[in-house]
Amino acid sequence: MKNLFRVARWEFVTRIKSRSFLFNTFVSPFLFAAVITLPLFIFNMQPQISTKLIGVIDLSGLNIKEELQRELNRSYRLGNRSLEYMVMNVAVGNSPVYKQMANKYQEIRSRLDSVTNVYNQIKEQRMQYYKNRRIPNRDYVLRSSYEKLQNTRDEKELIQIELSRFKTALDSVYKREAQRMADSLLYTDVLNAYLVFQPDFAKTGIVEFHTKNPGDLREIDRFEKILQTIIIKKRILDDQIPRSKIQKWFRPIHVRRYQLLPKGDQEWNFYVQFYGPLIGVFLLFMAIFTAGGYVFSSVLLEKSNRVIEVLLSYVNSSQLMGGKILGLGSLGLVQILSWIAITALMVAGGLLPADKISYLNMQNALYFIIYFSLGFLFYGAIFVTIGSVSASEYDAQQINQLLRTIAIFPVLLSLLVLANPNAPLIRALSYIPFLTPSFMIMRIPLSSVPITFDIYATIILMVVSIIIMIWISGRIFRMSTLMVGKKPTPQEIWSWIKIK
Amino acid sequence: MDKKTEENILEVREVTKNFKDTLVLNGLSFQVRGGETFGLLGPNGAGKTTTMRMIMNILRPDSGEIYFNGMPRPQLKGVHFGYLPEERGLYPRARVLDVLVYFGTLNNMTPRNAEVEAIRYLDRLGIIEYTDARINELSKGIQQKIQFIAAFLHDPEVLILDEPFSGLDPINQTVLLEILEEYKAKNKILIISTHMMEQAEKICDHICLINQAQVVIDGPVDAIRKQFREDAYYLELEGDYPVLKTLENVQILEEGKNSYKFVLKKGTLSLAELLKRVEEKARIRRFEVFEPSLHDIFIRLIQQQAEE
Repeated sequence: MKNLFRVARWEFVTRIKSRSFLFNTFVSPFLFAAVITLPLFIFNMQPQISTKLIGVIDLSGLNIKEELQRELNRSYRLGNRSLEYMVMNVAVGNSPVYKQMANKYQEIRSRLDSVTNVYNQIKEQRMQYYKNRRIPNRDYVLRSSYEKLQNTRDEKELIQIELSRFKTALDSVYKREAQRMADSLLYTDVLNAYLVFQPDFAKTGIVEFHTKNPGDLREIDRFEKILQTIIIKKRILDDQIPRSKIQKWFRPIHVRRYQLLPKGDQEWNFYVQFYGPLIGVFLLFMAIFTAGGYVFSSVLLEKSNRVIEVLLSYVNSSQLMGGKILGLGSLGLVQILSWIAITALMVAGGLLPADKISYLNMQNALYFIIYFSLGFLFYGAIFVTIGSVSASEYDAQQINQLLRTIAIFPVLLSLLVLANPNAPLIRALSYIPFLTPSFMIMRIPLSSVPITFDIYATIILMVVSIIIMIWISGRIFRMSTLMVGKKPTPQEIWSWIKIK
Repeated sequence: MDKKTEENILEVREVTKNFKDTLVLNGLSFQVRGGETFGLLGPNGAGKTTTMRMIMNILRPDSGEIYFNGMPRPQLKGVHFGYLPEERGLYPRARVLDVLVYFGTLNNMTPRNAEVEAIRYLDRLGIIEYTDARINELSKGIQQKIQFIAAFLHDPEVLILDEPFSGLDPINQTVLLEILEEYKAKNKILIISTHMMEQAEKICDHICLINQAQVVIDGPVDAIRKQFREDAYYLELEGDYPVLKTLENVQILEEGKNSYKFVLKKGTLSLAELLKRVEEKARIRRFEVFEPSLHDIFIRLIQQQAEE
């Protein structure tokens, strides 16, 4: 038994001073955390130095611009409280084509006005004729004025038709010209985006949003929300409901998310809740595979330079294997403890708000250590075996790669875990020893109800699997370590497991 | 201590070992006594390494048993073994002293004691200046010396060296032999395995030749030589004496330039008379009773076995 600790000590001491261990402990977690949180950080923390200019092409004549500006102001402001969005109408007054059309339209309009005037005058005159019965030739006068009225009305209707036709043409020219204008403003980055409101937008609910980056989901999401409000408001207004009431109804809504926890509710933040456990899994994975990699290269080295024969003549194979797993496992534990210490320092230094991140507590740190130790013992035994049966680094690397893929698999399902940490599938998967540590590390902080049963059951399951795994690897290890330059066949390995 | 003055004895009894379908050892038996240099000899693949691994308890026999002073090997506690495997290797990135102390402590030495002994041997083998060097910075020869030290640093009761002299220069061979002499003087078990017969002939007191999973011959070197002495003589002359070949009871075994190896068959001519006759015709430069070398004996035995 003493020799087990001597082997463990040797493995521990020779590795802890190595540069690769220091790097893996103190540099790569930060690199790694940076890599997974950086896109998020960039996405969220885009510096909004200047107010965004949003153009409006309003074909409805409802003065949408004011409304839109008001709504945007209500919901979005920059850090310094100045406006995040500024809305402007895209004017086309200077376009010669439009100007010409507009002049003609005005001309028709004034023609219509004058005809309407004439028409009204005739109508008034006729009223006089009706009232005044003493007019000479009253019948004749009434008849001729009626003809005049009819003619004027026909003329008026014709002009009205012409005007409405012209209006449609003018609108489409307006839209075309305005859009051409807006596009050039968008192209030169004067505008960040522009919106097109068709005359019937309130009825159809369709609004065009033109931008250079249609992939900017956050921006689109915001406008959708705002436009929804505006359109519904318009529709309600059309139903004759007083504006003041509507204003009250449409006061903005903010949803605050709280997570139910045994100790009371806690405000829920997607990024913290999701990325925290995910980083935890990655760290766990890194610790297991760093230490596991050492176990494995240590066996491979001793096997290739035959030190193993000397060692096996002084200690028995189970002491050697146990010593390696223990020594390098302690190394992993040192790594985990360093990380916990770093986290604690960050909390103490105010870099991480522990009171807002419920899972940063001693109990979870303890679970982290437990699942690391279990995961390490399990994978450690496998690594020892791989190291001992491999004839070369190359063989071993391939199996190693496969194991990594299996162990990292829970990360691919992390969104499912987030959605429901206690879904039957996730629960079932956490009972597969290869996946248990990773899944449990994610589930414990994410679950809103205590999963004590699963914790104890998986721990027991892991302990049993570890015993079986170590027993099997012990047998394979004893036989395979003495084979040189040759890989054992699966049948041979099976026969080693069977022999007494 | 009593134990040291007692005679140590290592016994291999009827040991058989199979690897899959290959019979590696078939009822192998021999005894090694403390204080003698025991040579375990045999061609490549004869089963030497397997035998040594079983003595080291790295492998278990399928049947048969190995005893040390009457105790079966697996039950042995507190008896230290030292082993130098044929293929050499150490931790390349580790420091010399650290490695030696590690191996020492694995054999129940205190770290302090292991350090003292390691330094003593490093000094003796003339490599004290490399105490703090990393193994991979050293030459092959120095690495080999360090491995020797690792094998006997803890003063084991049983020391097994597989091809200890290969790759060592003559000066270091001498130093190593001195150390082994001291070790033997403590009445301990020393087993050397080699296929270099000249080497074995020089240093071994007792040899055991194995071939094809079996003991071919086992016994003290002198006794074996005697057993295979052919009553042959070696005669070297100045000038030729072809008449020798015509003498009736002289059988020439080998003929060189003015030299003959022959046996005297039973007959009228005695050795003294023969020499007298030769001397009349030619000057004798050298005359000796011919001793067969182990090499010759082994080749003969192995060939015999092959013929059978």
